[in-house]
Amino acid sequence: PVEVKMQNILTDRTSVEVNFRPKAGLPNISDRLQEQIVKNSIETAILCELYPRSSVVITIQEMQNYGGLIACAINATCAALLNSGIDMRFLLAAVNCTVDKDNELHLDPDQIERDHAKAAFTFVFDSLDKKVVSSQTTGSFTLQQFQVALDLCKAACDCIFDFYKTITSKQISKHVV
Amino acid sequence: MAKVRESPVATCEKNFLLKALSNYTRLDGRAFDEFRNIKIQFGKDWGCCYVALGQTCALAQVSSEIQQPNSARPSEGIININVELNPMAAAHFEPGRQTDMSVQINRILEKCIKDSKAVDLESLCIKVNEKVWLFRVDVNILSHEGNIVDCASIAAIAALAHYRRPDVTSDGEEIIVHTYSQRDPVPTVLHHHPICVSYAVFNEGEVLLADPTLLEENVAEAHLNIGLNAYKELCTLHLGGSTTLNQHCVIQYTEKAAKRAAEVIDFIKKSLEEDTVKRDQDEVADFSSTLFSEIQEDTVNALIGTLNTWTTQENKWKKPKQLSNIEIVENDNSVIEVVGEKAAALVPRGKDESDVWICIDEDVDDDCILIES
Repeated sequence: PVEVKMQNILTDRTSVEVNFRPKAGLPNISDRLQEQIVKNSIETAILCELYPRSSVVITIQEMQNYGGLIACAINATCAALLNSGIDMRFLLAAVNCTVDKDNELHLDPDQIERDHAKAAFTFVFDSLDKKVVSSQTTGSFTLQQFQVALDLCKAACDCIFDFYKTITSKQISKHVV
Repeated sequence: MAKVRESPVATCEKNFLLKALSNYTRLDGRAFDEFRNIKIQFGKDWGCCYVALGQTCALAQVSSEIQQPNSARPSEGIININVELNPMAAAHFEPGRQTDMSVQINRILEKCIKDSKAVDLESLCIKVNEKVWLFRVDVNILSHEGNIVDCASIAAIAALAHYRRPDVTSDGEEIIVHTYSQRDPVPTVLHHHPICVSYAVFNEGEVLLADPTLLEENVAEAHLNIGLNAYKELCTLHLGGSTTLNQHCVIQYTEKAAKRAAEVIDFIKKSLEEDTVKRDQDEVADFSSTLFSEIQEDTVNALIGTLNTWTTQENKWKKPKQLSNIEIVENDNSVIEVVGEKAAALVPRGKDESDVWICIDEDVDDDCILIES
């Protein structure tokens, strides 16, 4: 939590500022959208009430975009927050999946799968009771497909929480030694 | 934007550094004219390059678009260099705002790369007075541990050398831009590879430190940035700060910098060759894997480990009402196997035959074809 500009000051909670930097060129409208998505998801996770009149600044730098950028950004942000020691309600895990023409689901799709995708979903889950924090969808799909995708992603999000656990414990053990 | 003030250098820290220098010692144990190690890593995209100079890291990306040329130079392409200092590098940098520092770094890089005519601008011309290529080099500083200029210049020149622009044909009237899959992309023509070598000046030019760290940079009286190419040709000479430096000193250090520049350029060329070999073998250089294993060892392995050991939860989801071709089989034993970086496949590992995935006919056919071919 750092000092905040007067215009962004919130008396009862911290203001979360997200900066998304594309790899090439200046940030544009779609990057602002990404910022908003990340911000909305992260705000629920941070215990904003603990740090009134301050702000949490998150800078996301795109390095290589081969799909699932939003999911990757949210996971990276969560790992960074975990590392920074800011109090959080829960951890977040974002999972990306697509549905192709044959109604097949692909978890964390590769380039070809993404090109043939009919719809893409990104779900964000919390670590406590694996509830959906936010969801982002593109393309057309039926309600049932949405449900199936949600369930699939929910099953996969454990893997990301496990990953957080491994990296954090590795880092701590490194510091101790 | 939030304001974070730059933390000033403590007086005792400063004195300690100066005292150490008077004993011919640097705090990180390097010799006065010793540089930090360079790492260069190219990304999957053309013209994407990550450079680490010790703890200072920069990411450069070249992008191109077609534009009208400058009316003064109708047959020349345009090149823009943009160095971005965002809060990721150091907390006191503000995003999207020009500071003295960023303007200075930008200008040094422009002098070094643009004004030295390293890129053959004439080859970027599509149609005189109407259409030329505009190259934009974005250098994002990822972490600031001193000597941004060197790091950014290496990143920019390596990215330019790595970049391939889409091929263009013209039938007199129309200009067709071919995608990468239609025609092989065209590499950038570089006449020479200029890079910057920086020194921090202490004690009125008595001590010059090569490749200064952040602390050394803050304590130094002045900075000497020398832009050179492999042929010992001087492209930039910038002395910032307030100090007196005699002529001999500048010439002597330019000589030294030339040696260093030649080494670095060799290294850039070697890395480029390695990348081409890798691409020829279809092992597309995967940025994240090598990069992150460098930054934080084993994390990627850890992820792969978790992916491998992770098993699906015991059928938490309800069976879909057979609307789709997917059939989710109750199976608590399937394993996610890593196919590539950040890609995984669900592989069923049933205890007995009844526990495996049910494949529909189409899929089976597909599988057969795959195996045969």
